[in-house]
Amino acid sequence: MSAHNNHVENSTWMRAVMMAGVFLTIGIIAFAALGVGVANQKHEVYMDAKEEYYDAKEDPLATQSDLDTLKQKYEKTHHSFLTYRVAGLTILVMCFIYASFLGIGGLFNALQPDEEHGHGDDHGHDDHHEEHHGSSSPIIFSLGVLLFLMGFPSFVVACKALMSQGGTFAFSDFALSFVGLTVILFGIANWWKEDLPFIGYGEQIATSAPFEGEHIRKAGVWVFIMSEVMVFATFFSSYLRVRTEWCTDWAIRASEEGDSCYGVAEGTVVTASDLLRYDWEKLMPGAINTFALIISSYTIVLALKIAKDKNWEAPTNFMRIFLPDKKKAIRNYLIATLLLGSMFIVLKLVEWSHLVAEGFDVGSPQGSIFYVATGAHGLHVFVGLLIMLYLIFKADTVGYDEENGQGIEYFGLYWHFVDLAWVVIFPAFYLY
Amino acid sequence: MGEHAATGIEKWLLDKTGKDIYFWNFIVLMFFTLFEVGAVFFDEIPGTEIEVTRLMVWVILIGVGIIKGYGIAAYFMHLRGDPSIYTRTALFPVLFVLLMLWGIGLSNPEAVTELPSWCTPDWDYATR
Repeated sequence: MSAHNNHVENSTWMRAVMMAGVFLTIGIIAFAALGVGVANQKHEVYMDAKEEYYDAKEDPLATQSDLDTLKQKYEKTHHSFLTYRVAGLTILVMCFIYASFLGIGGLFNALQPDEEHGHGDDHGHDDHHEEHHGSSSPIIFSLGVLLFLMGFPSFVVACKALMSQGGTFAFSDFALSFVGLTVILFGIANWWKEDLPFIGYGEQIATSAPFEGEHIRKAGVWVFIMSEVMVFATFFSSYLRVRTEWCTDWAIRASEEGDSCYGVAEGTVVTASDLLRYDWEKLMPGAINTFALIISSYTIVLALKIAKDKNWEAPTNFMRIFLPDKKKAIRNYLIATLLLGSMFIVLKLVEWSHLVAEGFDVGSPQGSIFYVATGAHGLHVFVGLLIMLYLIFKADTVGYDEENGQGIEYFGLYWHFVDLAWVVIFPAFYLY
Repeated sequence: MGEHAATGIEKWLLDKTGKDIYFWNFIVLMFFTLFEVGAVFFDEIPGTEIEVTRLMVWVILIGVGIIKGYGIAAYFMHLRGDPSIYTRTALFPVLFVLLMLWGIGLSNPEAVTELPSWCTPDWDYATR
């Protein structure tokens, strides 16, 4: 199917269902290997280290140095176990969500009857003059989000009860959220269906100031990013507000007589950065994530660059394996972006599990602001990954070129913003 | 992030090195990330006895943050080269962000207990 053919058979969507199957398989294999296979071995080592430590505590001959060494080993083995268990579980859940999005959306579109294309030739050249009409899908999607959030409190209570964490639930507690999720999926599937045949002709142009002559979609993305800046500013100002009041070890060491933190015992207030920045192993997930986001920003730029390059030629070196032709090169760079973003989520949850294991949870103001801010950022990354799934699907089927590459460009703006937000969050929450 | 003809430094880099501005921006971002992690990780500047103080960390983190933010916004998001309306759109919330950072974050560390009298009406529940 050529990128200049704006008629897409609905059967094309079965490829999305196939991709869903691939993701599900990857998720199950990764979970079996990491979350069960390796994690169970690590669990045995962890249990042995735990037993050794508690035995030593009972032993009157054990010195404090022995106890410290054993405690370190106990903590280290626990973290190692958590790393594999959480990584396996996260990959499984993420792949399940990826598969649900692609599978349900793809199946929904594949089952619909093909539209009649009576005008123009089969290659759709006459359709170049068609207007790119507005879509109702964003409104359907927003309605779904509204319903989901309305049902969210009882959804959480029911989930907690289901996981035997106390309380009772009825299946009706899930109802509103599930209706919301269904509407969200319907809205997204419809959105995909409208966008897939879009080949770049008929992009709506703003006709009045201040964006006169600019693509409306691009202006929309920038206005959206503007609102996102405000969201992250609220987190950051809240953090700054509480942080200036805390007597952290750093503030205590820098204080002089008369300062409010002068004479306060160190360790009174422990922030996430106190737990992370002095230990390379603990800081590593956050640091790797920073590099991952920067690399992913670059890979999506490369995908767009190739899409916009009319004279692109496959490289002659080893990279030819990954970039054999224009269509596959764009797809593979998008897949690389997806992998890097997915790695970000996995490492983030691994890091959270380590912090929770050390007693740094949402129960304290320091934990609360840390998890809310970094969690909101992680959620933005995850939403970006769900959108990326569609971009990969389009790159794999219809394909991107210099005419319709703006789809990657506009999503790229959002993805770079997520990177930009991390540029602020990482030093503020992890390093300082 | 749109495509524009290379001008100025972009053209110079392309002519001199054969690599475009995106590549060099990526390298600069990677280098500065490594630098900021290192700055916090070490208590002393490696090879010297100069202590990495709190003020030094502040300067490094804010300085690196500005450089990285500029690199991403100007080159990856392509605000340099796009019509100025996009830069103005991006900068519009900065006013509110500064207000929030100053008004909430920095100027009132004691929060509601130390608010000025004109914003604390004499209601029992407000002042108790």
